Amino acid sequence: MSDQVDESYDIEVIKAEWIGKKTEKTTGRYPVEYDPIRRHCHMVEDTNPLFLDPDAGKNSQYGAVIAPPVMAGYFAGSGPWPQKAKTDALANVPTRGERKINMNIDWEYLIPIKIGDQLSSQRELIDIFEKPIKLDSKAVWLVTETRITNQNDDVVAIGRNTLLTHRTPEQVSADL
Amino acid sequence: MTTLQTQLHWEDVKEGDTIPGYTLDLTWTKMVEQVSGSQDFYEVHHDPDFAREAGHEEIFYNTGFTQAALCRLLTDWMGKDGWIQNFSFQMRRMNIPEDHVQVKGVVTGTQVREDGKGAVTVDLWLENDRIGITTPAEATVLLPLRES
Repeated sequence: MSDQVDESYDIEVIKAEWIGKKTEKTTGRYPVEYDPIRRHCHMVEDTNPLFLDPDAGKNSQYGAVIAPPVMAGYFAGSGPWPQKAKTDALANVPTRGERKINMNIDWEYLIPIKIGDQLSSQRELIDIFEKPIKLDSKAVWLVTETRITNQNDDVVAIGRNTLLTHRTPEQVSADL
Repeated sequence: MTTLQTQLHWEDVKEGDTIPGYTLDLTWTKMVEQVSGSQDFYEVHHDPDFAREAGHEEIFYNTGFTQAALCRLLTDWMGKDGWIQNFSFQMRRMNIPEDHVQVKGVVTGTQVREDGKGAVTVDLWLENDRIGITTPAEATVLLPLRES
């Protein structure tokens, strides 16, 4: 996202140009692995054997350890390191500020994510609009839809995310 | 390692049932676990100066942590043969260091669908002692039918 800060910011022009744009379909850096699942479970003190115990996974209906479904996006991504340039088609949707907060997240899960799966994702901008918040009367909101597929091109999950972008108090004071 | 819990069946559940909840204390160690577990290194979730400069009271726990906490409530409850079909949540207010967070839920409806699957709708949420509910959520969970 970019901080377009001049008075020419016109949400209708941006809607016409950007809504419907899609990223390229990209594949996660690594297959689904045990240790990221273990770290995920650690942060919320989750001891579910389906996520953590290879023997339990092997003997379950899935035949392998599965990931908590909310990790679909994690495994379809490239992670924070080594850094990859944000060059996808939605990396520079114009907004007024660069501070951002995820607000609404809505997922549909279709099939389990198993150890060894290789996930891919593709995002589309569904909507962009202005709506004031306490911090910023000119906050800009983005709605994107993400489709996550596995190595067989089966759809694993479909997610819709509403992202709030806002300016810092200093930028708001200066109406930048 | 815990053992797999007793399987919950659709017939065991009725509207108004409370889902067994759990608590998480947001210590500074938990904040580090949040960054490790989510791999979300955006400074607003671990750097107090950065968060305050952006106008926030304090750093706040991230989306990855929040959805993991909500998901755990469901997967602990539904058992190995349950399936989360739909899951949505709203990051309305913030959970910050030193908060004592409770993860809770209640059954809002049950239905055997045309495809023969037992569906249960659930309201769930995170709340803390400081400001109450921070993250309302909804889910549809599929549970096995006892007769099948």
